[in-house]
Amino acid sequence: MTLELREMVFIATALLTTLPALLVVFSRNILYSAFALFFTFLGTSGLYFFLGAEFLAITQVVVYIGGVSVILLFAILLTRDIDEIKKTNTMSLGRAVPGGVAVLAISAVFIYAIGETKWAASGDETGVPALTVKPLGDLLLNKYLFAFEVVSVLLLAVLIGSLVIARRSVK
Amino acid sequence: MEIIGIQSYLVIGQILFAAGLLTAVSKRNIIGIFMGIELILNSAAINFAAFSKFTAVSLEGQVFSMFIIVLAAAEAAIALALLLAIYKRYDDINADNLTTLKL
Repeated sequence: MTLELREMVFIATALLTTLPALLVVFSRNILYSAFALFFTFLGTSGLYFFLGAEFLAITQVVVYIGGVSVILLFAILLTRDIDEIKKTNTMSLGRAVPGGVAVLAISAVFIYAIGETKWAASGDETGVPALTVKPLGDLLLNKYLFAFEVVSVLLLAVLIGSLVIARRSVK
Repeated sequence: MEIIGIQSYLVIGQILFAAGLLTAVSKRNIIGIFMGIELILNSAAINFAAFSKFTAVSLEGQVFSMFIIVLAAAEAAIALALLLAIYKRYDDINADNLTTLKL
Protein backbone atom coordinates (compact mmCIF):
# COMPACT_ATOMS: atom_id res chain seq x y z
CA MET A 1 0.00 0.00 0.00
CA THR A 2 1.59 3.24 -1.08
CA LEU A 3 0.66 6.52 0.50
CA GLU A 4 -0.03 9.63 -1.45
CA LEU A 5 1.54 12.89 -0.32
CA ARG A 6 -1.84 14.16 0.85
CA GLU A 7 -2.34 11.14 3.08
CA MET A 8 1.14 11.41 4.56
CA VAL A 9 0.52 15.05 5.43
CA PHE A 10 -2.82 14.07 6.99
CA ILE A 11 -1.17 11.42 9.15
CA ALA A 12 1.51 13.90 10.25
CA THR A 13 -1.18 16.43 11.15
CA ALA A 14 -3.13 13.81 13.08
CA LEU A 15 0.00 12.86 15.04
CA LEU A 16 0.74 16.55 15.67
CA THR A 17 -2.75 16.81 17.18
CA THR A 18 -2.88 13.67 19.30
CA LEU A 19 0.66 13.12 20.61
CA PRO A 20 0.92 16.51 22.41
CA ALA A 21 -2.52 15.82 23.93
CA LEU A 22 -0.98 12.80 25.66
CA LEU A 23 1.86 15.01 26.88
CA VAL A 24 -0.74 17.39 28.34
CA VAL A 25 -2.08 14.46 30.36
CA PHE A 26 1.15 12.94 31.57
CA SER A 27 3.61 15.82 31.93
CA ARG A 28 4.43 16.85 35.48
CA ASN A 29 5.60 20.32 34.46
CA ILE A 30 2.75 22.67 33.71
CA LEU A 31 4.78 24.76 31.28
CA TYR A 32 5.41 21.65 29.16
CA SER A 33 1.68 20.94 29.28
CA ALA A 34 0.91 24.47 28.12
CA PHE A 35 3.30 24.28 25.15
CA ALA A 36 1.99 20.81 24.23
CA LEU A 37 -1.51 22.30 24.20
CA PHE A 38 -0.18 24.93 21.81
CA PHE A 39 0.87 22.19 19.33
CA THR A 40 -2.46 20.41 19.71
CA PHE A 41 -4.25 23.61 18.71
CA LEU A 42 -1.93 23.99 15.73
CA GLY A 43 -2.67 20.43 14.60
CA THR A 44 -6.40 21.04 14.98
CA SER A 45 -6.04 24.03 12.70
CA GLY A 46 -4.39 21.76 10.11
CA LEU A 47 -7.27 19.27 10.40
CA TYR A 48 -9.73 22.11 9.70
CA PHE A 49 -7.81 22.82 6.50
CA PHE A 50 -8.23 19.15 5.53
CA LEU A 51 -11.96 19.47 6.20
CA GLY A 52 -12.21 22.39 3.80
CA ALA A 53 -12.97 24.87 6.59
CA GLU A 54 -10.44 27.65 5.98
CA PHE A 55 -12.22 30.24 8.08
CA LEU A 56 -12.36 27.89 11.07
CA ALA A 57 -8.67 27.09 10.66
CA ILE A 58 -7.65 30.74 10.72
CA THR A 59 -10.02 31.45 13.62
CA GLN A 60 -8.48 28.55 15.50
CA VAL A 61 -5.00 30.01 15.07
CA VAL A 62 -6.06 33.53 16.04
CA VAL A 63 -8.27 32.66 19.01
CA TYR A 64 -6.61 29.59 20.50
CA ILE A 65 -2.94 30.16 19.77
CA GLY A 66 -3.02 33.95 19.94
CA GLY A 67 -5.50 34.19 22.80
CA VAL A 68 -6.03 31.14 24.96
CA SER A 69 -2.44 29.87 24.97
CA VAL A 70 -1.02 33.29 25.84
CA ILE A 71 -3.60 33.88 28.58
CA LEU A 72 -2.76 30.40 29.92
CA LEU A 73 0.96 31.21 30.09
CA PHE A 74 0.15 34.49 31.87
CA ALA A 75 -1.94 32.61 34.43
CA ILE A 76 0.83 30.09 35.05
CA LEU A 77 3.47 32.76 35.54
CA LEU A 78 1.22 34.87 37.77
CA THR A 79 0.30 32.10 40.15
CA ARG A 80 3.37 29.97 40.84
CA ASP A 81 6.98 30.28 41.86
CA ILE A 82 9.22 29.47 38.93
CA ASP A 83 11.55 27.48 41.19
CA GLU A 84 9.15 24.66 41.88
CA ILE A 85 7.81 24.44 38.31
CA LYS A 86 9.02 20.84 37.84
CA LYS A 87 6.23 19.30 39.88
CA THR A 88 3.42 21.78 39.37
CA ASN A 89 1.09 19.57 37.37
CA THR A 90 1.03 16.27 39.24
CA MET A 91 -1.87 13.85 39.15
CA SER A 92 -3.89 12.87 42.16
CA LEU A 93 -3.52 9.08 42.19
CA GLY A 94 -6.81 8.53 43.96
CA ARG A 95 -8.63 10.25 41.12
CA ALA A 96 -6.35 9.18 38.23
CA VAL A 97 -6.84 5.41 38.61
CA PRO A 98 -10.66 5.27 38.60
CA GLY A 99 -10.73 8.12 36.09
CA GLY A 100 -8.33 6.27 33.80
CA VAL A 101 -10.41 3.08 33.96
CA ALA A 102 -13.59 5.02 33.17
CA VAL A 103 -11.93 6.91 30.30
CA LEU A 104 -10.61 3.65 28.80
CA ALA A 105 -14.08 2.10 29.00
CA ILE A 106 -15.72 5.13 27.36
CA SER A 107 -13.07 5.20 24.62
CA ALA A 108 -13.54 1.49 23.89
CA VAL A 109 -17.31 1.95 23.53
CA PHE A 110 -16.97 5.01 21.30
CA ILE A 111 -14.31 3.52 19.02
CA TYR A 112 -16.34 0.31 18.69
CA ALA A 113 -19.37 2.42 17.75
CA ILE A 114 -17.37 4.46 15.23
CA GLY A 115 -16.10 1.26 13.60
CA GLU A 116 -19.49 -0.45 13.49
CA THR A 117 -21.59 2.41 12.15
CA LYS A 118 -22.33 2.38 8.43
CA TRP A 119 -21.27 5.90 7.48
CA ALA A 120 -22.67 7.44 4.34
CA ALA A 121 -20.24 7.21 1.46
CA SER A 122 -18.08 10.28 1.52
CA GLY A 123 -17.00 12.04 -1.61
CA ASP A 124 -20.34 13.67 -2.33
CA GLU A 125 -19.31 17.27 -1.71
CA THR A 126 -21.88 19.01 -3.86
CA GLY A 127 -23.41 20.85 -0.89
CA VAL A 128 -20.14 22.32 0.37
CA PRO A 129 -18.86 25.27 -1.64
CA ALA A 130 -15.18 25.53 -2.48
CA LEU A 131 -14.70 28.79 -0.57
CA THR A 132 -16.59 28.75 2.71
CA VAL A 133 -16.09 32.29 4.00
CA LYS A 134 -18.93 34.01 2.14
CA PRO A 135 -21.57 31.28 2.73
CA LEU A 136 -20.56 31.16 6.41
CA GLY A 137 -21.13 34.90 6.70
CA ASP A 138 -24.53 34.50 5.07
CA LEU A 139 -25.49 31.78 7.52
CA LEU A 140 -24.28 33.77 10.53
CA LEU A 141 -26.04 37.00 9.60
CA ASN A 142 -29.30 35.49 8.34
CA LYS A 143 -30.26 32.14 9.81
CA TYR A 144 -28.20 32.32 13.01
CA LEU A 145 -28.39 36.08 13.59
CA PHE A 146 -30.03 35.72 17.00
CA ALA A 147 -27.36 33.32 18.28
CA PHE A 148 -24.69 35.64 16.88
CA GLU A 149 -26.09 38.61 18.82
CA VAL A 150 -26.47 36.57 21.99
CA VAL A 151 -22.81 35.55 21.71
CA SER A 152 -21.75 39.18 21.33
CA VAL A 153 -23.68 40.13 24.48
CA LEU A 154 -22.07 37.17 26.22
CA LEU A 155 -18.61 38.39 25.23
CA LEU A 156 -19.39 41.83 26.69
CA ALA A 157 -20.57 40.17 29.91
CA VAL A 158 -17.38 38.09 30.02
CA LEU A 159 -15.24 41.18 29.52
CA ILE A 160 -16.86 43.04 32.41
CA GLY A 161 -17.22 39.97 34.61
CA SER A 162 -13.59 38.90 34.36
CA LEU A 163 -12.47 42.43 35.22
CA VAL A 164 -14.74 42.48 38.28
CA ILE A 165 -13.65 39.03 39.47
CA ALA A 166 -9.93 39.53 38.99
CA ARG A 167 -9.58 43.10 40.22
CA ARG A 168 -7.54 43.83 43.31
CA SER A 169 -9.81 43.64 46.31
CA VAL A 170 -10.03 46.97 48.19
CA LYS A 171 -9.88 46.47 51.91
CA MET B 1 -11.30 2.14 4.68
CA GLU B 2 -9.67 5.21 3.28
CA ILE B 3 -7.23 7.18 5.41
CA ILE B 4 -8.85 10.60 5.12
CA GLY B 5 -12.35 9.44 6.01
CA ILE B 6 -14.83 10.40 8.66
CA GLN B 7 -13.63 7.58 10.93
CA SER B 8 -10.16 9.11 11.13
CA TYR B 9 -11.55 12.45 12.29
CA LEU B 10 -13.86 10.78 14.80
CA VAL B 11 -11.01 8.69 16.23
CA ILE B 12 -8.81 11.79 16.54
CA GLY B 13 -11.68 13.56 18.29
CA GLN B 14 -12.13 10.57 20.59
CA ILE B 15 -8.42 10.52 21.52
CA LEU B 16 -8.53 14.26 22.31
CA PHE B 17 -11.70 13.75 24.35
CA ALA B 18 -10.18 10.88 26.33
CA ALA B 19 -7.01 12.89 27.03
CA GLY B 20 -9.06 15.92 28.05
CA LEU B 21 -11.38 13.95 30.32
CA LEU B 22 -8.48 12.19 32.04
CA THR B 23 -6.70 15.53 32.50
CA ALA B 24 -9.78 17.23 33.91
CA VAL B 25 -10.47 14.37 36.32
CA SER B 26 -7.00 13.64 37.63
CA LYS B 27 -4.91 16.84 37.77
CA ARG B 28 -4.25 18.61 41.05
CA ASN B 29 -3.52 22.02 39.55
CA ILE B 30 -6.56 24.08 38.55
CA ILE B 31 -4.78 25.28 35.39
CA GLY B 32 -4.24 21.63 34.43
CA ILE B 33 -7.96 20.91 34.88
CA PHE B 34 -8.72 23.92 32.69
CA MET B 35 -6.42 22.56 29.95
CA GLY B 36 -8.41 19.33 29.99
CA ILE B 37 -11.65 21.24 29.46
CA GLU B 38 -10.08 23.07 26.50
CA LEU B 39 -9.11 19.72 24.96
CA ILE B 40 -12.68 18.42 25.32
CA LEU B 41 -14.13 21.53 23.64
CA ASN B 42 -11.56 21.21 20.86
CA SER B 43 -12.54 17.59 20.18
CA ALA B 44 -16.21 18.56 20.02
CA ALA B 45 -15.40 21.28 17.47
CA ILE B 46 -13.46 18.81 15.31
CA ASN B 47 -16.39 16.39 15.37
CA PHE B 48 -18.86 19.10 14.32
CA ALA B 49 -16.65 20.15 11.40
CA ALA B 50 -16.16 16.50 10.32
CA PHE B 51 -19.90 15.77 10.38
CA SER B 52 -20.47 19.03 8.52
CA LYS B 53 -18.30 17.79 5.67
CA PHE B 54 -19.06 14.07 5.54
CA THR B 55 -22.66 13.43 6.58
CA ALA B 56 -24.62 16.68 6.63
CA VAL B 57 -22.96 18.10 3.50
CA SER B 58 -23.77 21.66 4.54
CA LEU B 59 -21.98 24.43 6.40
CA GLU B 60 -24.07 24.45 9.57
CA GLY B 61 -21.66 22.23 11.48
CA GLN B 62 -18.93 24.79 10.85
CA VAL B 63 -21.17 27.48 12.36
CA PHE B 64 -21.46 25.33 15.49
CA SER B 65 -17.69 24.86 15.58
CA MET B 66 -17.27 28.62 15.42
CA PHE B 67 -19.64 29.14 18.34
CA ILE B 68 -17.70 26.50 20.28
CA ILE B 69 -14.44 28.39 19.66
CA VAL B 70 -15.99 31.68 20.81
CA LEU B 71 -17.47 30.09 23.93
CA ALA B 72 -14.16 28.39 24.74
CA ALA B 73 -12.38 31.75 24.57
CA ALA B 74 -15.01 33.33 26.85
CA GLU B 75 -14.67 30.41 29.24
CA ALA B 76 -10.89 30.82 29.25
CA ALA B 77 -11.15 34.48 30.27
CA ILE B 78 -13.61 33.80 33.09
CA ALA B 79 -11.78 30.70 34.33
CA LEU B 80 -8.45 32.49 34.57
CA ALA B 81 -10.00 35.50 36.31
CA LEU B 82 -11.53 33.13 38.86
CA LEU B 83 -8.16 31.43 39.18
CA LEU B 84 -6.42 34.69 40.04
CA ALA B 85 -9.13 35.48 42.62
CA ILE B 86 -8.69 32.02 44.17
CA TYR B 87 -4.92 32.39 44.22
CA LYS B 88 -5.18 35.72 46.03
CA ARG B 89 -7.56 34.23 48.59
CA TYR B 90 -5.75 30.92 49.30
CA ASP B 91 -2.16 31.44 48.03
CA ASP B 92 -2.62 28.05 46.36
CA ILE B 93 -4.22 26.56 43.26
CA ASN B 94 -4.33 22.92 44.32
CA ALA B 95 -7.87 21.71 43.68
CA ASP B 96 -7.75 19.34 46.66
CA ASN B 97 -7.23 22.20 49.11
CA LEU B 98 -10.12 24.39 47.99
CA THR B 99 -12.82 23.22 50.33
CA THR B 100 -14.87 26.32 51.05
CA LEU B 101 -17.22 28.14 48.71
CA LYS B 102 -16.69 31.58 50.27
CA LEU B 103 -14.32 33.78 48.28
